Amino acid sequence: MGDMANEIKLLTGNSHPSLAKSVADRLGIEIAKTMSLNYSNQETSVTVGESVRDEDVFILQSTAPNNINDGLMELLIMIHACRTASARRITAVIPNFPYARQDKKDKSRAPISAKLIANMLQTAGCNHVITMDLHASQIQGFFNVPVDNLYAEPSVLRWIRENYPDQDIVIVSPDAGGAKRATSIADRLDRGFALIHKERPRPNVVGRMVLVGDVKDKVAILVDDMADTCGTLAKAAQTVKENGAAEVVAIVTHGILSGDAVNIINNSCLSKVVVTNTVPLGDKQERCKKLNVIDVSPTIAEAIRRTHNGESVSFLFHHAPAV
Amino acid sequence: MVRNIVILGGNSHPKLVESICNSLGLPQGDRVLSSFSVGETRCEIKDSVRGKDVYIIQSGGGKVNDHFMDLCIMVSACKTGSAKRVTAVLPLFPYSRQPDLPYNKTGAPLSKQPSTVPGSNYTFESVPATPAPGIPKSAGLANGMDGLSKRLNRAQISENNIHSPSVIASPAVNGTNGANGVNGDDGYFKGAPSSVARTPGAFTTHDYEKVNHFTSFQGKPGYKQWVAQAGTLVADLLTCSGADHIITLDLHDPQYQGFFDIPVDNLYGRPLLQRYVQQNIPNFKDAVIVSPDAGGAKRATAIADSLNMEFALIHKVKFPHSSRSFNPETRQERRPTKITDRQNATMMLVGDVANRVCVLVDDLADTSNTITRAAKLLKKEGATMVYALLTHGVLSGDAIARINASAIDKIVVTNSVPQEEHKRLCPKLEVLDISPAFAEAIRRVHHGESISVLFQYD
Repeated sequence: MGDMANEIKLLTGNSHPSLAKSVADRLGIEIAKTMSLNYSNQETSVTVGESVRDEDVFILQSTAPNNINDGLMELLIMIHACRTASARRITAVIPNFPYARQDKKDKSRAPISAKLIANMLQTAGCNHVITMDLHASQIQGFFNVPVDNLYAEPSVLRWIRENYPDQDIVIVSPDAGGAKRATSIADRLDRGFALIHKERPRPNVVGRMVLVGDVKDKVAILVDDMADTCGTLAKAAQTVKENGAAEVVAIVTHGILSGDAVNIINNSCLSKVVVTNTVPLGDKQERCKKLNVIDVSPTIAEAIRRTHNGESVSFLFHHAPAV
Repeated sequence: MVRNIVILGGNSHPKLVESICNSLGLPQGDRVLSSFSVGETRCEIKDSVRGKDVYIIQSGGGKVNDHFMDLCIMVSACKTGSAKRVTAVLPLFPYSRQPDLPYNKTGAPLSKQPSTVPGSNYTFESVPATPAPGIPKSAGLANGMDGLSKRLNRAQISENNIHSPSVIASPAVNGTNGANGVNGDDGYFKGAPSSVARTPGAFTTHDYEKVNHFTSFQGKPGYKQWVAQAGTLVADLLTCSGADHIITLDLHDPQYQGFFDIPVDNLYGRPLLQRYVQQNIPNFKDAVIVSPDAGGAKRATAIADSLNMEFALIHKVKFPHSSRSFNPETRQERRPTKITDRQNATMMLVGDVANRVCVLVDDLADTSNTITRAAKLLKKEGATMVYALLTHGVLSGDAIARINASAIDKIVVTNSVPQEEHKRLCPKLEVLDISPAFAEAIRRVHHGESISVLFQYD
């Protein structure tokens, strides 16, 4: 440990500089000097401006909507660059794992893209992955290297306790898949739980919805792992509202908010949409007054610190570092 | 007829896929290839591929990263769909040519990177400002001169930032931040984030909208910055997604084949270009084949030899950074033409082209800086007409405008990347159809015939 080498080196791609900055600030280090840009033929180029030899390299790359593949290639090239530059260990910090929803062969000849991404990361030379709220935690099994799946839940719990200390709240899962996540929060808050059952005919399109549970005159908090086009959320909020909820709030970990999501939220009956900063939001906060952001950089920074020092990370599954 | 074979096309070059399928007399495999609203690729193979020999055609032009991911996902989908063999057909191989100099958005090379070590007070005792036992927690003055010069460096870069002086002037603030950093104990969680001294608009290297930041990008003192070479990585990624075989055309480096652990058939565009010379250039025996740089000399001489034509070569002479006041007239070598002061490079022509037709031969034109400069030089040396023959006409950035304004009289490319748009904008452009070569290669690979006959043309 007293060695000069084997320090934390935090590198970052272009996808989410502000998160990288807060993580670096939190760790009290500076982001390593790298530059990545696109050539005019749109190939990605990465320039490494400092030595990573024998260092403990962490590469933070999130997924910016509509630049998923560019961000991914940038990350892979960075990993490979550090590998060829003799880094001791390379950890990919991917707060929002791309292609996480394509995790099963749900049709004949459908690709399991999440598995492909896992293979690609390992092929590029990644030794460890830190991510947050995987869409399906089974994705960890796609890797042959350790995957630390962090939870935004402690940060979410704190936000609920701070913002709704006394109200009568009920945690609602907008689909059956998220029931486990929602019940866990409901249990820890010792509050009620409800569930919406939905039929989904096609991706990004929402069908009919049925509410199971009591939300009448309560503050209904919809909990999910990601909000993409927000069709589900808006429809779920509508369903909850129709069942007599006093207020509807949505808390999602990954606020991807692609397509027309901002307008859908603005026009929905949701009073607040709370997301974490795992995904860059761009100007969405200006365009959507309902959007609230929970900073998860302390959790990510602490996971990096603990990974580097060889300490247990599981403490973070139930505790959020102070902001 | 060809059986048990499925031809799938990516989105990069539908025209080429169509003509390859026509040449083979096969229908195109049915697939869905689009993207979700978040930007992730969505792929579904509609036709059964079980036990089939699958060929996936995807070129490298346009949105390279998207197309490459599309290809990998398609390969993987076929592989998990029990295809017997998956062959990736890449008319233009992405990331096969990695320039060693950073380019800006429009493709022009950035100013020369500083070759001298910045910060003359650099010592090898410098320590990365990372917390560890026995190392001061602060990145400020506690680290000595190194930390100070780093701060000064940053202040210099963001000199327009009104907050930056406070960064230098407040080492004490930095010190307390450091104490709030990682202590390892329970004190950590109570620590406030060190946002006091961090200026919001500080310099970031990850801001590619602001081009002037690149020019000020400098590596750490004592470390020579380098550009990552993605070649091996791309080869590995294709293999890891499940490709069993690669067919491509005119790889920039022949060594690239060695990056793969699977068979790579590298087809040549040469016969097509050669035929063009024979059929479309009047009195081609009197013309001169010219290579626009030393790296392409082998390619150009091959054509010159087989057509029994004369050969000339242009090479760039780079002068040391210090000799900015270099006067071309005093130099011993023949007829140097100074290109730009910034690059300090001079082009030299070896061979005689006066009053003759010149045929520039290269494998790839991206920003087309090289060939347009070469054409200018050739015209200056008395060439009557300049043809440019290229296998891959990527022509990105403002290449078309550059070619239109250049001394090139005719530019001939193959359709390894889509050329419809280029053709519309550039009247000098002529396109040769490469699809028969790919169709024949696919047919031969499928039947297990030798494809080396495709390499022999004389």
